[in-house]
Amino acid sequence: MEKKTVVSYTLEHCVRCMRCVQMCPTSALSMIDDKVIINDGKCLNCGRCIRACHSKGLLASGSSIDAIRDYDYTVCLVPSAMISSCRSLDEAENLFFAVKELGFDEVVDITDVEGRVMKETRFLSEHEEGQTIISSMCPVINRLIEERYPMLIDNIAPLNYPSEIAAKQIRKKYQDKGKLGIFYCCECEAKLPLAKYPYNNMEYEVDHALAIVDIFPMIRENLDKGRIPVTFCREGLQSCNPTMMIQTQSDLIADGYDKINDILDMTEFGLLDSFKILHLFPCFNGCIGGHLLWGNSYLTKNNIDALTYKWRKAPADLIFEDMYTNDFNKTDDDPRSFMEKMTFFQKVNEQLEKLPGYDCSACGMQTCRIMAEEIVKGTRKVDDCHIIHSMREKGK
Amino acid sequence: MNSILHKDYTVVRDDYARAGKVSSDIKATLSTIGIPPSVLRNIAVASYESEINMIIHAWGGDITMDVFDNGTITLVFKDPGPGIPDLEKAMTPGWSTASDEARNMGFGAGMGLPNIKRVSDTFDIETSEKGTTITLGFTVA
Repeated sequence: MEKKTVVSYTLEHCVRCMRCVQMCPTSALSMIDDKVIINDGKCLNCGRCIRACHSKGLLASGSSIDAIRDYDYTVCLVPSAMISSCRSLDEAENLFFAVKELGFDEVVDITDVEGRVMKETRFLSEHEEGQTIISSMCPVINRLIEERYPMLIDNIAPLNYPSEIAAKQIRKKYQDKGKLGIFYCCECEAKLPLAKYPYNNMEYEVDHALAIVDIFPMIRENLDKGRIPVTFCREGLQSCNPTMMIQTQSDLIADGYDKINDILDMTEFGLLDSFKILHLFPCFNGCIGGHLLWGNSYLTKNNIDALTYKWRKAPADLIFEDMYTNDFNKTDDDPRSFMEKMTFFQKVNEQLEKLPGYDCSACGMQTCRIMAEEIVKGTRKVDDCHIIHSMREKGK
Repeated sequence: MNSILHKDYTVVRDDYARAGKVSSDIKATLSTIGIPPSVLRNIAVASYESEINMIIHAWGGDITMDVFDNGTITLVFKDPGPGIPDLEKAMTPGWSTASDEARNMGFGAGMGLPNIKRVSDTFDIETSEKGTTITLGFTVA
């Protein structure tokens, strides 16, 4: 099912720098009549376009905290990436108190669920003979594989997101609490759609996704007012951070967008078959480098030891039905026949020959090939190319 | 059956820096056309192995790709020598003549030819001192 992108375009007047269009890994962005258009089906929610824009023209936001009032009993899920910003257990206890003060009945850390998903990923890698398992914890990686590396879809661990598993557990536990509202603090744009609201993805158990940066000013006011005792699961905290993760000979851990693309390319050629697990993070420093967090990920990455030196929680006990999903088994849904595909490809190539090939994006399309595709589809003309147009003007 | 897309490539002996570039282009081209992922994966693995073989074992050579209107794809890898002295051994999994240099770079596990044959729909190999030609066929539709 095609999901709506979390990115929205907010400007009255765009300077047409095309940075966002050029930055998109799946060519989901184009500019038509000075407005950025985002193709929902292609968008990965990676947020690269948001950061590319110098005019703050692109935005991804979570639900408003006011939604708490719609429920009888509210629970807030706190992921490891948010906890990692705390330098000590004391700070974490202050943080949990401050989050509860937003109006929640309960604040739950999901590090034990994250830890269990990590363990289950390892279990799968040890039992799937000859198959490299790609950790499915990052929604951007899963979407990137679906869009650009479809050969590797079968390698994605068929596990639910930790937020989803935690929400299922809570819903079972609190069947008698009236109207239960589950909120989830998101450290990056890509996790915002893993909830019913604000993006209307009704299949999820989480009700509202909150952007951590939006609620942080309110959290800060109460940071020194009290504390709630907490213990964390070490494996869960490690799951959000490539430098702190326990690594064996058969694990490949990488962060940064360019590097993970190299790795996925090599995996397609079968060159990394000797690795059993790939943990890939498009963000530098993993999830603690998420762009909806307030901390500096280079400073916060060593906090895990401080947070688990004294008390630790074991990974959660979970049942198969809650953990496993087959959401990633996307089959080839292109209804065109082979000859239709070939004919289209050749027509596009014919148009591509006429274009200058600079991939300058001045026409609003990311590359000349995409422009050529649009010309074949009939939505654009060759003369819409700024270079061809100006050469023709000069010739007159 | 007519070829509706034809591409020529050349690879150079011991050019490790560019090893895999031809396979990347073949993969990117077929992916743009919209070849189903299951077929594409086999083509990617076979073309990469064959390209690397030409770079580390042979004296470079030429690669051609043809996409035919009946939905088949043919890849031809033609090198000028030195030929495979014992083809039967070369087709045995685990047997390898790769240099230490190549092995250090992750090549030469001795799975090359058997792997190529395993993932290809049709596999044909001719070898003599004057060179080796491998012809691989894949069915898309």
